[in-house]
Amino acid sequence: MKTLIKTGALLTAAVSLAVLSGCESANADKAEGFTGKLSPISQTAVDAKASTSGNAPLAPLPDSVPVPPDNKQTDAKIALGKLLFFDPRLGGDASVSCASCHDPSQGWAWAEDLSRGYPGTVHWRNSQSIINSGYYPGSFWANSVPSLEKQAPSAAKGGVAGNGENDIMESRLALIPEYKKRFKEVFGDETPLIDNAWRAIASFERTLNQTDTPIDKYLSGDKSALSEEQVRGKALFEGKAGCIQCHNGALVSNMEFYNIGVPPSKRWEEDGLAQITFRFELYAKGSNEELYRTAKADPGAYFRGKNKWDLGKFRTPSLRYTMYTAPYMHNGAFYTLDEVVDFYNAGGFDEEGRTTGWPKTKSGLIKPLGLSDDEKADLVAFLEAFSGDEILMDKPELPDYAPMFTLEELKEAKK
Amino acid sequence: MGIRATKKRLLVSVAMGLGLALTVNAQAASKYPDIGPLPNVKINKAKAELGKRLFFDPRLSGDAAISCASCHNPEKGYADGMALSAGYPGNKHFRNSPTVINAVHKNRWNWDGRIGTNLNDVTRGMITEDYIMNMDMRIMQERVKQDPLYVKMFKKAGYGEPSNGSVRKAIPEYLKTLTSKNAPFDNGKMSASAKSGMALFKGKAGCIQCHNGANFTDGKTYNTGVPENWDVFMDTDRHQAFLAYNMFMGNEGRMHLKRDAGAHIHLHKADKSDMGTFLTPSLRELSHTAPYMHNGMIKSLDDVVAFYNDGGGQDSNKDSRIKPLGLSSSEQKDLVEFLKSLSGDPLTGSKYVWEEAYPDEYEAIENWRQVKN
Repeated sequence: MKTLIKTGALLTAAVSLAVLSGCESANADKAEGFTGKLSPISQTAVDAKASTSGNAPLAPLPDSVPVPPDNKQTDAKIALGKLLFFDPRLGGDASVSCASCHDPSQGWAWAEDLSRGYPGTVHWRNSQSIINSGYYPGSFWANSVPSLEKQAPSAAKGGVAGNGENDIMESRLALIPEYKKRFKEVFGDETPLIDNAWRAIASFERTLNQTDTPIDKYLSGDKSALSEEQVRGKALFEGKAGCIQCHNGALVSNMEFYNIGVPPSKRWEEDGLAQITFRFELYAKGSNEELYRTAKADPGAYFRGKNKWDLGKFRTPSLRYTMYTAPYMHNGAFYTLDEVVDFYNAGGFDEEGRTTGWPKTKSGLIKPLGLSDDEKADLVAFLEAFSGDEILMDKPELPDYAPMFTLEELKEAKK
Repeated sequence: MGIRATKKRLLVSVAMGLGLALTVNAQAASKYPDIGPLPNVKINKAKAELGKRLFFDPRLSGDAAISCASCHNPEKGYADGMALSAGYPGNKHFRNSPTVINAVHKNRWNWDGRIGTNLNDVTRGMITEDYIMNMDMRIMQERVKQDPLYVKMFKKAGYGEPSNGSVRKAIPEYLKTLTSKNAPFDNGKMSASAKSGMALFKGKAGCIQCHNGANFTDGKTYNTGVPENWDVFMDTDRHQAFLAYNMFMGNEGRMHLKRDAGAHIHLHKADKSDMGTFLTPSLRELSHTAPYMHNGMIKSLDDVVAFYNDGGGQDSNKDSRIKPLGLSSSEQKDLVEFLKSLSGDPLTGSKYVWEEAYPDEYEAIENWRQVKN
């Protein structure tokens, strides 16, 4: 894997390029595909235009990951962020860390349909990979937070994720001398501030990128990087199968929102624990009585603006690193890329003929593709070109707690 | 017992009405709400039964590992027998678990007295505090709704569909059932020694100045100089909870705090005269709830009485009423006997304890697609 640390100058350049090139440019250049600057909801018009008047072509992922100006990358911050990413003390009962649901050996995600969740719960969505997340304009399936700095606390504090609270998590950090020292060095904190923990974690995550996949090499001029099968698959991807309409640009995602017809999770019909979480999410994310009582599918991006036309829509996921991140879709409905391709080929229906619980908003772009078995095989082969080597990492040794005071200091305290 | 108490009240009012020069004992007693039997409380059986099942159900904590009864254990007088309570997994608590027996007769709760409203609020506080049960009550509500027996019990209790609000009502209803039963003080079976102790309690020892009324507490906070329990700071699992609590309560100086601030946490007095003040605990059920004090620093009732006889501990904020009492050893023994007479029968067995097993997993709702959520 490549560890990338961007300078402020590079960032500025990249941002300017993105702004100048916009989304409709047909010229592939390194910065063009990165949409980190765009706010998807507000960019609907731009992206809609992109999808009709020619899609952003596939492009190599630039080596330079966008870095927010108020959270520059430094080696010390990244090293601290790595420890914190793996530290279960940033969670309610000190048993779950970021890495619990974003496990390096499970594609930096969780290899079940629904993420494992906090002990005593199960999540209601599929865990997304951390790889390349620094390039995204926001996080979560509905892009509900604008940055990695906002994603980390949202997950660490969510009732079916980390279930931690600021006060106990910050207090734990204060009792770990190694963290006290490092927060002081990195952020100047007298005692560690929890918001800086999220900053450090975000910085660490920005180093988890993969820009040397077969497709990156191919698009950079190495025509030997793809097999013949994959080259045929690429033509289908960009042509007959129409994948490129949404999966485009360097991130292989236009970061727009669609209902593609993914059927509701079967766990909600069969698993009491999943039913609990389903209702909790409806309740916690803010539903009216009718929605709470009747919804049997994930309302998705609806919760962002409470617009009916967003029901069941999710952000186009990147196709990068997907070789390691099965199962797929917001609820993990499909366990293999073959199933995914079959689903699209059938016009957004699974093998049992099930489709979205929100049929009114299903995208018109999703229709039967008429792909032959050979074509499907080519397409799957091409999808694999978006993944390079597996990025693995061992859990680091975590620093211990130590009492803040000596017994003598306590005894001497004035009462 | 009712007769005896009535007579006593009569005596006091007669004495006051006549304006006679009273004995020291009677004088001390007359200034304070009299000790006596607890008033009866009306209990709704179906609601209390529901509350009982909730009280013992670990699914009411964030990671479904502990219930209210984990720290308020019927076998330990609805406390937990430890100096400092266990708290939520991942941390430990920094205070002694107080009994919930007679909690319904209090008007202020928690050792620092931070809740002075009602048991509904106490229930919410304990379930949601991150270092206690760390439960997002919205998840709790949906867990409860997933249990068919709860659905029935809520309905039977008149609450309709299970909700957070009714959980917070049902548990206090159950707590109404946990009141002193058959204590010698209440049933007139006190020993001679205990009776002598009662006289000391009201007189020479001056306990009644704070431990008054039917529940032996005035609901106020005082500093009696109880020594700090250093485990609060030396055990990082406790210290983290202590820091989190101080942070949540808005105590700016928490990182330098080397003592439990007590009621200062919510009173915030500028002169800090409220530092280290704690709520007068009830003296009922003490036989079942050792060790004593907000931090469990005193192991036995003998030691408690000796502590007060010595004029309490060292503290610049110590209440002026706490001074050496000059009790002889036999007087101290009598006082302890009186304190023991305030404890009733253990509240164990199925009348008080939910003894049926809880389901290992949540049943799926059938025909999920067809039924309303």
